[in-house]
Order: sequence, then C-alpha cells, then structure tokens
Amino acid sequence: MKVQQHRIKYYVLGFYLLLLAVWQGLFSAQVLPDYLFPSPWQVVRRLWELAADNYLWPSLKATFQRMGIGFAIAATIGLLIGLLMGTVQVVNSCLRSLFLGLQTLPTAAWVPVSLLIYGLSDRGIYFVIFMSSAPAVAIATSDGVLHIPRIYLQVARTLGTPAYAMPVRIILPASLPSIVTGLKLGWTLAWHGGVSAELIKSTIGLGFLLQMGRELNDAAQVIGIMLLTVIFGVLLDQCVFGLIQKRILKRWGLTPKA
Amino acid sequence: MPAADSNLEAPAEAHPIKLKLTNVAKLYVNASKPVAALQPINAEIRAGEFVVFFGPSGCGKSTLLNLIAGFEEPSEGEITLDGARVEGPHHDRLMLFQEHGLFPWLNVIENVLFGLRRQFRFKPKARREKARQFLQMVHLDQFEKAPIHELSGGMKQRVALARALAPDPKVLLVDEPFPALDALTRTKLYGDLQEIFLRTQKTIILVTHDAREAACLGDRVLVFSGRPGRIKADIAINLPRVRDINDPKVAEFAKLVMSQLEGPAGESPTT
Repeated sequence: MKVQQHRIKYYVLGFYLLLLAVWQGLFSAQVLPDYLFPSPWQVVRRLWELAADNYLWPSLKATFQRMGIGFAIAATIGLLIGLLMGTVQVVNSCLRSLFLGLQTLPTAAWVPVSLLIYGLSDRGIYFVIFMSSAPAVAIATSDGVLHIPRIYLQVARTLGTPAYAMPVRIILPASLPSIVTGLKLGWTLAWHGGVSAELIKSTIGLGFLLQMGRELNDAAQVIGIMLLTVIFGVLLDQCVFGLIQKRILKRWGLTPKA
Repeated sequence: MPAADSNLEAPAEAHPIKLKLTNVAKLYVNASKPVAALQPINAEIRAGEFVVFFGPSGCGKSTLLNLIAGFEEPSEGEITLDGARVEGPHHDRLMLFQEHGLFPWLNVIENVLFGLRRQFRFKPKARREKARQFLQMVHLDQFEKAPIHELSGGMKQRVALARALAPDPKVLLVDEPFPALDALTRTKLYGDLQEIFLRTQKTIILVTHDAREAACLGDRVLVFSGRPGRIKADIAINLPRVRDINDPKVAEFAKLVMSQLEGPAGESPTT
C-alpha cells in the first residue's frame, strides 16, 4: 500500500497511540499485578514525582555532562586515530582488526574492568564511554579517508596545495560524510556504555535512577527512566547528528535526487 | 575543399615552442611482463596552440597527457616546458578532468579561489575579483555563492574550467571533459572553450576519441594509434574560429582525421 508522503507522520502518530492503548489495555486486563506492570499514567506520575523531589534534573544534567565530556574526548581521539589509520597503511592494518574485535564486545562488558581499575569514581564512567565509542569513530574516519576520490587529491596537488595543508583542506572535509556517520554511531554507543556504567557506579544519573527503581521494587520508575533514556537518546541521535548528517550528505551530493 | 596538410612538421609560425616532447616512452609492468603503453614520441607544441590528441581507447593519448601533467613519469625521454624539465604536478600545467573534481564542501567561487591560494602577490580582495572575472568568462557569475550539488553537469564542468584557468597555467590540459554531458550542453561548451581560447591565448592540449570534437576544437590534431601508442599523423585544421561542431567543413576535417587512423600505414584501431 502506498501512503502519501505528508500523511506518513499521522500514521506514525497513530501507531504510537495504538501502542499506548495496548499498554493500557494489558494493564486493565491485569495480565501482571500492577506493582510489576504499571499503567502509562502511573509511569508519568512517578516521573513527575521524581522531578518534584528534585531527583530527575540533577540526574539528567549529570548524565548529559558525562556523555558530553566523555564523548567529546572519545570523538577527538577517535578522529585523530582514524586520520592516522587512513594515511598510514600499517597502522590501519593493525588497529582495524583490533577495533573491529573490540566492537564485538557489548558496551556493558567494559563496566567490570572499569570497576577494577577506577573503583566507583566517575572516571570509570568516562572510561566506559570512551572504550565504547572511540573505536567506532576511528573506523568510520579511516574508512572516509581511504575512500576519498583520488581526483580531489590530484586537483589539490596540481593547484599547489602543500602536503602539510592537505589534512585540513582536503582530507578532513572530503571524509566528513563518513566521519559524521561514525560520530552518530559513536554517540549511540557512548549512550549505551554510559548508562550501563551508571547502573553500577554512580549515585546520580539516569542509570542510577534505573537501578534505584529496581532496588525500591518500583516498576513505574524503572520503565519511566527507560523511556526517558530512549527519548533523549533518540532526540540527540536524530535531531542533532541526524540533521547534520542529512545536510552534509546533501551538500556532498551523496543523496539520490528526489 | 579545405587545404589539409598532413605533414609531420609543426606549422612554421612565429610562436615559440612551449612544450617539447623528446623520445617520450612509457612502459607498464603487467604481470611481471613490461607492456609498452607509448612508443618513443617526439612532438613540439607552440605557445598559443590548441592541440588535440585523438585516437581510440588504449592508444596512450591519456597516458601522454598524464605524463605532461606530471601524475606519472615517462620511462624514457623527457618533457620540457619553456625549456625546463617537467617534474611532478605543478600549477603551470593544470588539468581539466573527465569528472569535474570540484570540492563539494566549497561553493562555486570558493572552488575557483582554491587555485588562487598560492598567489601570494594578490591580496584576498584581488583574488576574489580575479575569481569573479573567470566565472564571468564561463558565464557563471550569477552563481558564485551556489553550492556545487545544485549545478547541472555542464555548469560544473564550466566551474572546473574557471578553476583551472584562474591560476594562469602555462598549459591547460583537458582530458575528455564532455562525454558525460548531453549533446546540447556539449555544443555550447565547444563554443565557450573556443571563445576562451581566443581570449586568453592559452596553450591547450585536449584528449578525445571523438573525431568531430577533434576537428572542431584543434589547431592541430595528433592522431594516435595503439598499441603501443604512437603518433600516426599530425593534421592542421585551418578553419576560422569560433567553429560550429555541425559545420560541414568541420565534418570534412573529421573525416580526414578518421581516415588517418584507418590509413594504410598501420593496423586498424582497436576500441
């Protein structure tokens, strides 16, 4: 069935309303007792209480601060390593296999080792964020550099661009579409890793609130914080990285014309 | 009937020799066996001449252009520009590529300005002025702020032309720049290129496998045959400019160029 483009958003809205109705329906049918399976309303009310008791905002702020700083470090170092991998073949051969191997690890698997090294300090959370996302950024960056059309380099060379200026004037901008894709993926992985680390290591943050909900046997809080984690993760992924990516792909002429 | 010299002498003109090819040969090592891409070639190209390298695919004409551009090194012989040996790519020999090679992260005028970066004797404002002049020359001054992805194929190729001309190269090298474009756009570009040639008095070398294009654009057409590549004929096209690709006289010269390729002196072209 073909749906007109501008109509699609109403269908999406309808789908989520339906999902909410099913949730409420399951609750009303008492499939599980309500302390295990709260209603949407109970979840919203619990989040409201958390906000009113001044639990929610400090935790959101803490999580975003950690993510912001941790991801900024991971992205910068990942980018530099990626550029090096893209330019020096030996480095690429060695690091690529290592990073691809590391990427098979679930991000939460970095939590135990960070506990061993850093104990319960916040540095451990940064460590998990870094290890979760830096390899992805590095690999995407090196892919971008390795696939730069040869003609850009030839043109720049004949127009007299000196070798030291190549990274800034050609290599970085030419691989930008790939870099942004890597940053987007890296952000998602950082978000996974960071919240996982907060579960165990922190006394503040979204992960902490999730764990606190479990300890209090408060299903409404657990589900509410999960929802918030999804919403903020998607918001940043789509509204920040997604939009940047869309603009860059368009500008670089990499999207098929409508 | 147009007077067609097909002698191998360069036309006796007052213009000095710009580019001199002396015994230039190129070998490629393919599966441990060397393959000759170009047999030793001798040619002289004079200042302000529009020379076309014409021949079938694989005849070595593009290889020779790459050697002149400095992207590759000749296995034997030497190429000199104004008496100085050519070594590596340099902005005194700029190439207009088959794919335009414009940088999508820069807009139209920034692309043209990219080639002017090295001209330290000009202040930024003067460089911008210069870039504008060249955009005007290719009739794109209305589009200086446009992003590249918004331009049509023909417009992109014209921006690339402006970018290659702006640094004032001694020789403009053109590598089959138009096959991806539609016939109408191509016809217009033939006219533009000739007007620019008349205006700038630039030395131009263009590579093509289209006889009509060769006859329309060249002062001289060097006919190549493969393989290994060598020059079979050197034909002067004595027609006034600006020439129209659909002019019957151009067609006659195209026929002459084609006949040189199929002539009795060598084997028939392979494509």
